[in-house]
Amino acid sequence: MNFFRLTRRDRTIGALAPSSVATALVVLSVGAGTPARAQTLDDADFMKFRVLCAGVVYTREQWTDYWEGTLKRANGNIGTLTTTSATYMTAYGVTDRLNIIASLPYVSTRASQGVLEGQSGHQDVTVGLKYRAFNTPLTTSGMLQGIVAISGTVPTTDYTPDFYPMSIGSSSERATGRGLLSFQGRNGLFVNGSMAYTRRGNVTLDRVSYYTNNQLYLTNEVQMPDVTESALTLGYQGHGLFAPLSLVQQRTLGGGDIRRQDMPFVSNRMNFTRLDAHVRYAVPRSRGVLLMLGGSQVLTGRNVGQATRVTAGLLLAGKL
Amino acid sequence: MQMSMTDRAMRGMRVFAIGVLSAAVLSCDKAITQTEDLLPLTASSTDATAGAWKMIVLTSATQVAVPAPTAVSSDAYKAELAAIKAAQNALTPAQSERINYWAGGGVLRWNQIVRGLVARYNLPPAPRDDGSYVFPDANNPFGDPAFPFANPPYAARAYSYIAVAQYEALKAAWAYKYQYNRRSPARADAEIRQLVPISDLPSYPSEEAVLAGVTVAMMQTLFPAAVEEVTKRGADQREAALLSGKATSSDLAAGLALGRSVATLVLARMTADGTGNAIGNAAQWKALADSASARGETPWLSLETPARPPMLPNFGAVLAWSATPAELAAARPPAPFATASAQMKAEVAEVRSTVENLSTAQRAIAQKWNDGAGTYTPPGHWNDIAADHIRDANMSEVRAARAFALVNMAMHDASVACWEAKYKYFNPRPSQLDPAIRTDIGLPNFPAYPSGHSTFSAAAADVLGYLFPASSSEFHAMAAEAGLSRLYGGIHYMNDITEGKTHGSRIAAFTLRRAQADGAP
Repeated sequence: MNFFRLTRRDRTIGALAPSSVATALVVLSVGAGTPARAQTLDDADFMKFRVLCAGVVYTREQWTDYWEGTLKRANGNIGTLTTTSATYMTAYGVTDRLNIIASLPYVSTRASQGVLEGQSGHQDVTVGLKYRAFNTPLTTSGMLQGIVAISGTVPTTDYTPDFYPMSIGSSSERATGRGLLSFQGRNGLFVNGSMAYTRRGNVTLDRVSYYTNNQLYLTNEVQMPDVTESALTLGYQGHGLFAPLSLVQQRTLGGGDIRRQDMPFVSNRMNFTRLDAHVRYAVPRSRGVLLMLGGSQVLTGRNVGQATRVTAGLLLAGKL
Repeated sequence: MQMSMTDRAMRGMRVFAIGVLSAAVLSCDKAITQTEDLLPLTASSTDATAGAWKMIVLTSATQVAVPAPTAVSSDAYKAELAAIKAAQNALTPAQSERINYWAGGGVLRWNQIVRGLVARYNLPPAPRDDGSYVFPDANNPFGDPAFPFANPPYAARAYSYIAVAQYEALKAAWAYKYQYNRRSPARADAEIRQLVPISDLPSYPSEEAVLAGVTVAMMQTLFPAAVEEVTKRGADQREAALLSGKATSSDLAAGLALGRSVATLVLARMTADGTGNAIGNAAQWKALADSASARGETPWLSLETPARPPMLPNFGAVLAWSATPAELAAARPPAPFATASAQMKAEVAEVRSTVENLSTAQRAIAQKWNDGAGTYTPPGHWNDIAADHIRDANMSEVRAARAFALVNMAMHDASVACWEAKYKYFNPRPSQLDPAIRTDIGLPNFPAYPSGHSTFSAAAADVLGYLFPASSSEFHAMAAEAGLSRLYGGIHYMNDITEGKTHGSRIAAFTLRRAQADGAP
């Protein structure tokens, strides 16, 4: 697969994506006020050859408490921050073991208290490839799959990254590599483990200085620390159902904390551990209608909101 | 599995697109420059007459005595030169780095450092669980809240006192330099290397040590929690002067003592300037609202939750630099439109329509000049602008100090005058008169009229235009944009901006009056 022959600068991702490891693609969700990830992409599921799946996933995420650095607090000038998003997504089976996947969310933010203006707009487009490197019977009881994925993300509009927590995103260009190992039991139960590394490009602000990480920067350019995400998933697949339960952990490899009574900043060290659950259901005799329902809860975090999220999606799949 | 040619082509294109996308992100160089790069300072003039320029706080340039240096023929002095040579031969990479850092100019470097401290301490106290606020305590600077809350008036005052103290100390240093005329070590001894450009400016007392002594002493009072860090910076600056061949240890000792003594005199003025009473008390805050109500006006209300006391309501009574209280009162802008008037309704409607139809360019301008909590404030932004021009003009340390002193005195006076007017009129913010107005930047917690940004910016632009006439129109265009940014942010009416701008110019005139008569050519 020559497209995995990474350039010299891609070593980090290359190291995470050896052919012996498997992967799925996700749209990485970074911190508070960011949109839904494209739920159906973070898995070991593949569109068959020439099958196109497309649809919209709606997400509503809310938090009242957030972590100012490591201090958990509420803020009367925010109240509850609500982020809603509608993500257009599509996946296509180039072959049975190679999928191309794309997504683009439209995001809106709103604070229930205070005077800060909510923001809305199309956020970042992600295009990625997901490849099943191997699929071998492990014991008599199941199969072991290895999947690798790479993706690139770029902002599609000039929304501001300098108005957290109201900003709809970081406006950073990103490249993600992911490896996923999945054990699929014959009884329909599966367990996945995945690791992703996202390299983030610098962000440009409309101002000439900013203070973060204990220093004044006399530039409009913000260095964005890279991000890792690891996930452990248990789930069931069968009878038209796909139902994973995941524990997801995001770590930002640098960045400063929100200072006492300060606003969040785009390059903050945004970490969290989150529990995700969702169900995807293929409606019988519908010729490819998929329904998706889900939710997630941030359990612990740093420089992010303790967000509760609900997700609903409608996807259509069919052979071209 | 058979793929058609079209399929293959499509697939190839997609793979290529992803590859390009990923490579574009991965190949970007993430390194950024944290501070303004400063080339080693080569002053276009040594400003040999600066010891005769008019003083501001001190009675004369020689008010603080500096004893005559030991003779250059003495064994003590020869030992000092030998010590420099030995140190230069054992230079570490870290020392070289510090020499290069300070070679950019002490006044410019300290100005950057002060901007960093203002940004660090420009955070309002967090509310307590019972909804009350605790004010920062100078005797507990590391507490929560930290001391100080370096908001715009505090910052304008701090920038001005540090700049004036440096300017006074350097004029005093210049007087003694040309009185004693001791050559710099690199000029006195050919074996001492010049690791930075060294002019024929006499080296006793050392201007680097004067700056370190005066600035560290000022910061001990203004930013007490940062004292350890700035003391280290001061020591670095003195060490760099010695290692680079600019000053001997006795040049440095005399400079340090002079700088500290000048700071004591300037601090005596600062600590008695009335800032200690600027916060006021609950009874005074209520009286401000009652007074506005009695005039038939809608009084300003804090829109924060929980409601926060107004920022420094008595700052308008603080001592100014270049104008008497009577002069400031005479320059005060006229009353704003009555809150119930048709003009005010039109003003409110203009703000609402602006924020509801905000263009990307307008939002960028609002953010460019926001300079809100957690930043170096609007006076810091104008120091940033001033620093670029001072750097490009290759000014001597004493002339650079004069430029920063003039700009910052004008902004401090603008701040005093603006705060006096704000609390005299106690005019509500747009979001108070129309709750549908949502802001694109943080809403300041003090009355609207007149706009502080407009006042600061007009004052700074007038003084910078005087100092750098070739860039005057550029400064005034920036000031106009800074004013308008507050309308775009949804936090000011147009009248706040237009009146603030003319007010700022009237205040700057007092500083220009001083500048034109201070003896600096």
